[in-house]
Amino acid sequence: MEKKLKKFLSNATRVAPKISKKGELFELRNGLVSPYPQTRKDAIKKTIQQMTLGKDVSSLFPDILKNIAASDVEQKKLVYLYVMNYAETHPELCILAVNTFVSDAQDSNPLIRCMAIRTMSMIRVDKILEYVEIPLRKTLQDDNPYVRKTAVICVAKLFALNKELCQELGVLEDLVSALEDSNPMVVANAIAALSDIYETDPSVVELPKLIQQHVSQFLLALNECTEWARIVILGALAEYTAKDSLEAEQIIDRVTPHLQHVNAAVVLATIKVVIANLPKIQVNVDSPIFSKISSGLVSLMSTPPEMQYVALRNIRIILERYPLLLSRELRIFYVKFNDPLYVKLEKIDILVRLVDPCNLKQCTLLLAELKEYAMEYESEFVSKAILALSQLGVKFSEVKFVRKVLDIIVDLCQTRDSFQDDCMVAMCNLIRHTGSEQDDMITQVCSLAQVWGSTESVFQTDYAKCNYIWLLGQYSEKFSNIDKSLQVFIDSFTHEESLTQMSLLITVVKLHSVLPGAMLQNLLNLATTSTDELDVRDMAIMYWRCLSLEGENETLINELCNAQLPQVATTLDAFSPELLETLLRELSLLSSIYYKPVSTMTRYRMRTTNAVKGKQLNELQYMARDEIMKNMNEDNLLDFDGESNFAANATQPSSSVLSDINDLFDFAPVVPQHLQPQSQQPVDESIQGLSLHEKHGSAKTSQNSNTQDLLDLF
Amino acid sequence: MGNFFSSMFDRLWGVNKEMRILILGLDGAGKTTILYRLQMGEVVTTKPTIGFNVETLVYKNLKLNVWDLGGQTSIRPYWRCYYSNTAAVIFVVDSTDKDRMATASKELHMMLQEEELQDAALLVFANKQDQAGALSASEVSKQLNLVELKDRSWSIVASSAIKGDGISEGLDWLIDVVREEQL
Repeated sequence: MEKKLKKFLSNATRVAPKISKKGELFELRNGLVSPYPQTRKDAIKKTIQQMTLGKDVSSLFPDILKNIAASDVEQKKLVYLYVMNYAETHPELCILAVNTFVSDAQDSNPLIRCMAIRTMSMIRVDKILEYVEIPLRKTLQDDNPYVRKTAVICVAKLFALNKELCQELGVLEDLVSALEDSNPMVVANAIAALSDIYETDPSVVELPKLIQQHVSQFLLALNECTEWARIVILGALAEYTAKDSLEAEQIIDRVTPHLQHVNAAVVLATIKVVIANLPKIQVNVDSPIFSKISSGLVSLMSTPPEMQYVALRNIRIILERYPLLLSRELRIFYVKFNDPLYVKLEKIDILVRLVDPCNLKQCTLLLAELKEYAMEYESEFVSKAILALSQLGVKFSEVKFVRKVLDIIVDLCQTRDSFQDDCMVAMCNLIRHTGSEQDDMITQVCSLAQVWGSTESVFQTDYAKCNYIWLLGQYSEKFSNIDKSLQVFIDSFTHEESLTQMSLLITVVKLHSVLPGAMLQNLLNLATTSTDELDVRDMAIMYWRCLSLEGENETLINELCNAQLPQVATTLDAFSPELLETLLRELSLLSSIYYKPVSTMTRYRMRTTNAVKGKQLNELQYMARDEIMKNMNEDNLLDFDGESNFAANATQPSSSVLSDINDLFDFAPVVPQHLQPQSQQPVDESIQGLSLHEKHGSAKTSQNSNTQDLLDLF
Repeated sequence: MGNFFSSMFDRLWGVNKEMRILILGLDGAGKTTILYRLQMGEVVTTKPTIGFNVETLVYKNLKLNVWDLGGQTSIRPYWRCYYSNTAAVIFVVDSTDKDRMATASKELHMMLQEEELQDAALLVFANKQDQAGALSASEVSKQLNLVELKDRSWSIVASSAIKGDGISEGLDWLIDVVREEQL
């Protein structure tokens, strides 16, 4: 009786609950343990609401957990969502959910089975993982493909969380057998999981071998699964190396229908597979497969700009291997007025690359188009267009055409007043391509340069300055007041970058007989004493030595400076063959955008184990050492050549010069001796050795450089 | 809004109200078997419960929300998470496990001292009576010091979850007590 009274009293006080005092969490907690199911469900909903808003409701964990065992699927989903989110904050309490997870994994509803195993393998709590074995095994053998495909992914998750446990349980074998599943989704997820695991630790699964064995399953599954699964399967197919041309052809036939897929990623993945198999089969240029690839690529051009950009970057790689692939689709790649800048720049690049250099009509069309681009307002775009003009000229290579290009550029220079840098580089490229026979073109360029030269600081970039100075030196007879133009650069020598410095050095040495003598002296002094650029200093010292030689130094200088430069065959940059090979294999991956192989990206490197890394480092060291040794040998040969030359030239071996030369050059043979005992850090050491010796040499020369020798020269 | 009204009515008439009943005890006492004997009326093969099982069953027009909590030493500390709003506790003892009677007694008394369980009724099942060497209900009661319990309605019933003996008797008593308290 007394008890009842007590209860009645406490109930009476509950009539007006104090809401605000204890706050929202208290209210939610009350709701979660309420004896009414509907109230509990509402409270769960509210809690999830708070959670998604970013409020910390982790303190409700035990109370939410009580509601995990509900028959209501909706409520279960919400609770699972909460558990996924906050499991890490209450790892010890998670164990209370184990029983529910396990029994849910045997539920009659496949959705719940799937949810249970997914959540279980997702929670980063070690204690839970201990109990994952039975449910995981059961769901891997489930009747329902939806559950199986989830379970297969869970194996990869488990592997990422606890590698040892995963191997102990032996579920990796189940994963391998899932590759032979009857359902394409399961196959796709299995291969995705396997490649994920392979990426983390290549020693656990033999992915390449598995791919070789299961190609027929992949090809079967390919047509029946979702687009994302297709990408995964296509990725695996691209890794496969066909046994013979027949098989390669078969694979290409099977995947080509996917070139028309709406999803750009599927198209790219398909192209990757086709390109991987193309070298295996004999195809000529106009085989239908190329037109299929090109139509696939063209379809990518109607996607949003971001995807276009990715497509363009990939196209650039493909074009490097198959330059004529898209030459009929020139118009598709014309720049539209509303393209974002990054797409425009890529498009110009692609345009020049894909044009057929044997087709005059097409080149003329493109020339007109590029001319339009050069009249635009975005400066980067215009620069690129001007560069592209010269690239096109060089590519088509016919004198008349080049002249046309040059006319356009000269025209541009006269109408626009801010792109001298780019025009200068473009014109020099063209002149270097046509060679010195086309005198009228050279005169045209030189007269323009003469005008520019009279106004100070026309050129901003190192590259443009370098080109301008080269022009001065190469065609000095077409310029008046050449010493004045050069003097401007010598005055600002210390502020210039290395390319300009070197170019200046060559030009002045080349023209030293025409220029006032003090100019050369001044420049050599500057170049040996007040620059940090090793190359510039080395070059200056070399020239100085040559000039101070008695006798036939004129011919030597002539040989050095007036050597015939090789003709510029192309100004388009290209990948090295190895890089191109890697990039073609990694088409449609991130590496195709950066043009860097996956193996050079940092995340990947962090993942590789130390042992592997150590080995690689060692190998690299050996490679570096070998290379340096080789270079040294070459240097030696050159040096000895030079020395014998000098010796022959110096009629009277006036000891000082020869010994200086010996001093200067004898660092080369010394270095390898340095190198051998210290093979551990070959690069650093030898570089140090080099620079030390150079300093030594330069110090000597500057001591020696009392004007006597030089004055003799003049 | 509909939910709101329906839950209001539920509250007014007490229609959907559930009664919380906990089944506690040391590991291997037969808690899960009792739970499913209550719910389905048959014996299921069980594995050690890591966490809990919960089932809702209707018994004599009362909706019972029966919680079976795992009895492992590692899980016992978390029993307290479930104490609030509990109407009754069923404590299951393995009558053949004489060595751990003291432990069971300690756990029982510790649990009953909790503030939130002051109003809860207690039913003790002296389980596994079907096995040889099982202690009788009165012996178990002595071992557990049940007589010391003051100010609480309690009862002990000899039971066998496998055979189904004593389970419904115990529950009948519990329902009567709980119903009386609720009114």
